[in-house]
Amino acid sequence: MANNDKIDRNLNGSEAIAEAIFQEMQQDENTILIGEDVGKCGGVFGASRNCFSEFGENRVRDMPISEMTFTGMGVGMAMSGLRPIIEIMFADFLGVCLEQIYNAIGKIHYMSGGAVKMPIVVKTAAGNIGSAAQHSQCLWGTLAHLPGLKIVVPSSLYDHKGLMASAIRSNDPVIFFEHKELLLKRARSFLSNPIVPQNTYTVPIGKAAKPRIGSDITLVTLSYSVELALKSAYEVAKEGIDVEIIDLRSLVPLDIETVLQSVRKTQRLLVVDEDYQSFGVSGEIITRVVENIDPTSLRQIKRHAVPDVPIPAALSLEQVVVPNYDSIKNMLIMMAKGP
Amino acid sequence: MNQIERFKAMVEMRFFDEACLEGVPTMEIHGELHTGIGQEAISAGLLGHLKNSDALVSTHRNHYHALIKGVNPYRLMSEIFEKKTGICQGFGGHMHPFSLKQNFSATGIVGQSLPVALGYAYAFKMRKEDSLAIGVIGDGAANHGTFHETLNIAGAWKLPLLVLVENNGYGISVPISKVLATETIAERAKSYSAWGKCVNGDDPDIVSEAVEEAVSHIRSNQGPAILEAVCNRFRGHYEGDTDHYRSKTEKQNMLKGDPITTYSKKLLSLKVLTENEIQNIFQTSKQKMFGLLKRVRGEKMPLPETALNYIFCEKTDG
Repeated sequence: MANNDKIDRNLNGSEAIAEAIFQEMQQDENTILIGEDVGKCGGVFGASRNCFSEFGENRVRDMPISEMTFTGMGVGMAMSGLRPIIEIMFADFLGVCLEQIYNAIGKIHYMSGGAVKMPIVVKTAAGNIGSAAQHSQCLWGTLAHLPGLKIVVPSSLYDHKGLMASAIRSNDPVIFFEHKELLLKRARSFLSNPIVPQNTYTVPIGKAAKPRIGSDITLVTLSYSVELALKSAYEVAKEGIDVEIIDLRSLVPLDIETVLQSVRKTQRLLVVDEDYQSFGVSGEIITRVVENIDPTSLRQIKRHAVPDVPIPAALSLEQVVVPNYDSIKNMLIMMAKGP
Repeated sequence: MNQIERFKAMVEMRFFDEACLEGVPTMEIHGELHTGIGQEAISAGLLGHLKNSDALVSTHRNHYHALIKGVNPYRLMSEIFEKKTGICQGFGGHMHPFSLKQNFSATGIVGQSLPVALGYAYAFKMRKEDSLAIGVIGDGAANHGTFHETLNIAGAWKLPLLVLVENNGYGISVPISKVLATETIAERAKSYSAWGKCVNGDDPDIVSEAVEEAVSHIRSNQGPAILEAVCNRFRGHYEGDTDHYRSKTEKQNMLKGDPITTYSKKLLSLKVLTENEIQNIFQTSKQKMFGLLKRVRGEKMPLPETALNYIFCEKTDG
């Protein structure tokens, strides 16, 4: 874990993202940003701060509340040679523009027989911070189900900037899921890599990270849950439980090799996902593991996700349905006591 | 663009779609083929008004728009027959042709052409290019939310967008008159600070005149235009549609007003063409399009082992 007092740039996630967007827009005049309140406001979470004053209204455009149409505009812009970044303020609003995402953005490269590229980033804020049923959803599992979309879900502060830079440079469409908690969390309170170099850099899309090496249990997770997992692992280490943590970083492409290597070693797998449980990330990871490793050679496979219920408003209720520090810790202790 | 060329274009379009129809009973073409038969005058009215750099985003009923935009008819028909020689190598099919060279694309989802055309229009204005974008819709899509959203944005920012409404009177089985709050679609233009006009879409001269007006409005930076061209859909919504919801009398009356027959009579009476010349145009066009059909039928299907190509353009093995 980093010595966080020595961090000289105490950025939060949104500043790291804004810096990536700013630098990429500086390097390529075809890159433009559209969305609600991305202009003078700089994004409701601040993830496009400074861009409007630097690049002007043509390239950083506040859109009316017409998500279906401005997402479709991204398709026409891309075909005309631009590289649009489309902000959908909350992941919950993806439903409004999903048609253009999964029928156009995700399919046009394929439907055109490879002739047309869709260099589009759809960035959106996901995750639970007490915002109830319509402003808390993750939905990355839903989007990962649809072909033709790269699904990027950063966790460390370093990755927020580096993965956003990669997403913008990608010639394939990327759905970029920020987590509201991480957008607002500052470097000094991050447990995973909090250092954000000032110069430009990229983190490759499709390679998982291993923020903690361990030998007893493999904990596979993503986004804010990586922070929770690190804190839980630190606690259970005091009881002699040695957890290896894998931060997936992207769901599509999925770096299953890194997961398999770890599970072969620990023989215990726990998947933690802040998204809904059924038909989602945890089911996919576990399936790919048992397709590749003889299940009889594994000691335990568990998952911990939102039990297929809308996110309640009252925090007393939210706490029992969304994986948290205590619930993850308890799962780890229970697994360590088992086979 | 003169009347003879408009007439030739109409006849060629008709035979293009009639050639395609040959592939339906044989199952060479499957999955809801939508022909434009009966609606030729509208696309012919676009002739001469578009530059190659202008963008055209079409619908499920897209063949004529592709031809007018300059997409190679052989490669278009190949795509409709899902051949490897198609403009999308058989991956798109008749509802999803794309040709970047002509800034031509289409969508199979009703209403979704307009936002894409708007994106082109935004890019053209941002780069200060003298090009415009045409978003084609039918009357059905005029009631889709994208119609409002797109025209509002185009009007607010004076974007170079032409919304071309091919009003063939029906959204599959539902008469547009039953589901429209106004008498015409074009009269909504006022709400969007747009130019708007509703014209007879059976006469390519009338359409051409209206297109000229709309295009000069747009190219002089005055914002978007809605051109509604009223026409008839001679066949069912798609091949296989029993079309039982329209009466025999209604259909018979409709066919009496075939725009190709009407226009040939007009050109005959104006002495622009002789009966002989008209017959020649029919013959040449038929030969050309059925000749294409024969060639297309001889082409290869895409190889099965390529089915997983083109999901992404960049490597995905992490």
